Amino acid sequence: MKGWHVAIIIALIGIIGLFYAGLGRDPRSIPSVLVGKEAPPFSGPDVQTGENLSLSSYKGKVVVLNFWASWCQECRLEHQALLSINGQFRSHPDFVMLGIDYQDQPGDAIAFLSSFGSTYPHVRDIKGTIAIDYGVYGVPETFVIDRQGIIRFKYVGPIMGPVYSQMTEQIIRPLLEGREPQRS
Amino acid sequence: MMIELGYFAVITALMVSIAGIIIPVAGLWTVNNSLIRAGRQIVTVNFLLISLACGTLIYSFLMRDFSVKYVAMNSNSRLPVFYTIAALWGGHEGSLLFWTWILSAFAALAAWIHWKKHPATIPYLIAIESAVTAGFLALIVFLSSPFERIFPAPSEGMDLNPLLQDPGMVFHPPFLYLGYVGFSIPFSFAMAALLSGRLGEEWIRSTHRWTLLSWIMLTFGILMGGYWAYYELGWGGYWAWDPVENASFMPWLVGTAYLHSVMVQEKRKMFKVWNLFLIIVTFSLSLLGTFLVRSGILSSVHAFANDPGRGVYILIFMSAVLLFSFGTLIIRSNLLKTKIEMDSIVSRESAYLFNNLFLLIATATVFLGTLYPLLVDTLYGTKVTVGAPYYNKVFMPIVLIILILMGIAPMIAWRKASAENIRRNFLIPLIAGLASAAIFAIFGIRMAYPLIIVFIACFVSATIIIDLYKTSSYWSSHSGVSLPAGIYKAWHHNQRRYGGLVTHIGVLVLILGIVGSSAYKLEKTVMLKPGDEFKLGSYSYKFLGIQDAAGINWRGVEALFNVYEKDRFVAEMRPQKRQYMGGSQMPTTEAAIEPRRMGDLYLSLSEITEEGWITVMAFQNPLIHWIWYGGGIMGLGVVLILFKRRRRDS
Repeated sequence: MKGWHVAIIIALIGIIGLFYAGLGRDPRSIPSVLVGKEAPPFSGPDVQTGENLSLSSYKGKVVVLNFWASWCQECRLEHQALLSINGQFRSHPDFVMLGIDYQDQPGDAIAFLSSFGSTYPHVRDIKGTIAIDYGVYGVPETFVIDRQGIIRFKYVGPIMGPVYSQMTEQIIRPLLEGREPQRS
Repeated sequence: MMIELGYFAVITALMVSIAGIIIPVAGLWTVNNSLIRAGRQIVTVNFLLISLACGTLIYSFLMRDFSVKYVAMNSNSRLPVFYTIAALWGGHEGSLLFWTWILSAFAALAAWIHWKKHPATIPYLIAIESAVTAGFLALIVFLSSPFERIFPAPSEGMDLNPLLQDPGMVFHPPFLYLGYVGFSIPFSFAMAALLSGRLGEEWIRSTHRWTLLSWIMLTFGILMGGYWAYYELGWGGYWAWDPVENASFMPWLVGTAYLHSVMVQEKRKMFKVWNLFLIIVTFSLSLLGTFLVRSGILSSVHAFANDPGRGVYILIFMSAVLLFSFGTLIIRSNLLKTKIEMDSIVSRESAYLFNNLFLLIATATVFLGTLYPLLVDTLYGTKVTVGAPYYNKVFMPIVLIILILMGIAPMIAWRKASAENIRRNFLIPLIAGLASAAIFAIFGIRMAYPLIIVFIACFVSATIIIDLYKTSSYWSSHSGVSLPAGIYKAWHHNQRRYGGLVTHIGVLVLILGIVGSSAYKLEKTVMLKPGDEFKLGSYSYKFLGIQDAAGINWRGVEALFNVYEKDRFVAEMRPQKRQYMGGSQMPTTEAAIEPRRMGDLYLSLSEITEEGWITVMAFQNPLIHWIWYGGGIMGLGVVLILFKRRRRDS
């Protein structure tokens, strides 16, 4: 065995090992500087009824905040999952699900909700100001806010597959039961 | 029924390629010529089967058969025919099939072209190509089939991703694939050389054209991607060091190193192990590109569809390729001892060696930057991103060294360069380079990189001009003809060398474009209402208003601008925002680009409010078209080498 033989073998093992370890991870769960901070307050008109909604009226509850838009392809993919999360927890008195309709035409948004279904309220954010406060740089993004109004979790991208169960079992359920969410 | 026929064809092709791994090698070992000949039929049959599979998929696209899941996901009935065909490689499954089709075509071509000349290595070549083909076919058959149907069939398909509905995007992936897959031929020849023990220069000579062709295809693929990003993504740039861009850049860098170091083996029989190492790395990096995009281990704008299951498969596949090829290299390395040693550190072979080292260091830089986030995440569980500042800081100095070597290497003598040789070839270019940098400095260019680049560009061009002049005057006095005729003779006698030098000039033009457009870029974001005006550089832009715009399958709005240079009307510009009518409703940006003599004027519409205000990003990108011209000149250089006439006496 010469030196370069050993070097090649070590490099190969290292690279393959790194990829193997990296396969189980999710590059999209990007920690936000906002995680652990207080959720920025906001208010705005309801997409369907036009009445004013504000975050402060949900104080003391666990809030799942989902930024979406009718023109966003991935938002369609995750929509059923969001409805099912709401269905799973809405009987709990302290659970609130809230959509933020980001930079959308009101007509398109209403058409989106009527064709894909909606069981929770959505706030209109035409100018994207709420999204700016939350540091959103693309839809969909989802935040989980605890009873004290602190952001505990953020996910960039559609809620699908394993993310769904991580969201419901490791974040939302513990928070509702007064436990700490599990960090993965 | 058609699509089932296609599926059947790839399943058959998978079995045929597995046979292709075994039969020709068995034929070689048992000295059975009919088995070896069967190998050639196998690659041909494989190509026909995979062509049939592609054909059925294209047919389903054209028939708008939305019961085929891949067709429904990537097209709809309003999609123009041109894009409907290109949708074949618009998604993950189809692009894998397309990749494999090119691979099978190249394998068949190589088997037929090199059949007579390399009877002892062709069976191995066929086996290696069949193994790679089988790997991809298995991925298609078991994990990523574009032949699935959905039930109930939707009446209308989604849309081809609107970003892909663009000529640039139609051609960008095929050229990249031609480059990636093309490198599989020199790779297979190298492996065949290792396995058969025929480790002379013949495998390098016969893959020379394949290498050049793959390299220029990869070059074009990368440049087209840059051009597409430039006018379609609306951020005024063309390269962002995105992991997937890096994935295509790394095989390019190592491929470039390989392209140069094979010449040392041809001329001096040196670098034997090194060349094998380089081509294995080049092809492995091509596969790594596929792995990075499709496994989902890195976050990227390009990662359209991820699936960890495929990731595991591709990882196993790639590990097999890496372990097999490097393992063979290590086991066979005792056959590769060369007695020839470097005569002097000041010689052409050592210039090539340094060129190789710095190209590899550049590759390592990109590799580390691309994989560092994954490494940190795996070891410490923290997320980091490596952005453009890292690459600009680390990469640029390495590029400068490579460019200087590009000027030196072709002109310095083989074996040992004398002081006389160096003075004769480099004194005038050095003075020319320094003088032109000084002139630019006097005229107000004050930044370091632009000045260094000007120096290098003039230095390298001067070495080329002087070389051409000396050789031509030698030929004109030698055979008593005029100087222009001497130039022709010089050219004619060494077309490969001058083709290479033309390519070098292309690289310089491209680098000038990159440096000019990044160092002297002007940009401004403004909010305007109709009638407003703003200034950028020596141009003023007047916003006249918004109007509707529409195409076959999109509607949109455009903002109308009149552009003036010192009160003189120079252009009308219309940046657009488009909404495609298919299932995907992502709005796309179409930048308005106005090429001027010194660079592009560039407007990109970012927002329109209901009250009629717009936000627009304006850029001035000096010299940016030099990047595309540079690519063209590089292509010309390669064409000149490829079409050189073979010498009658050799």
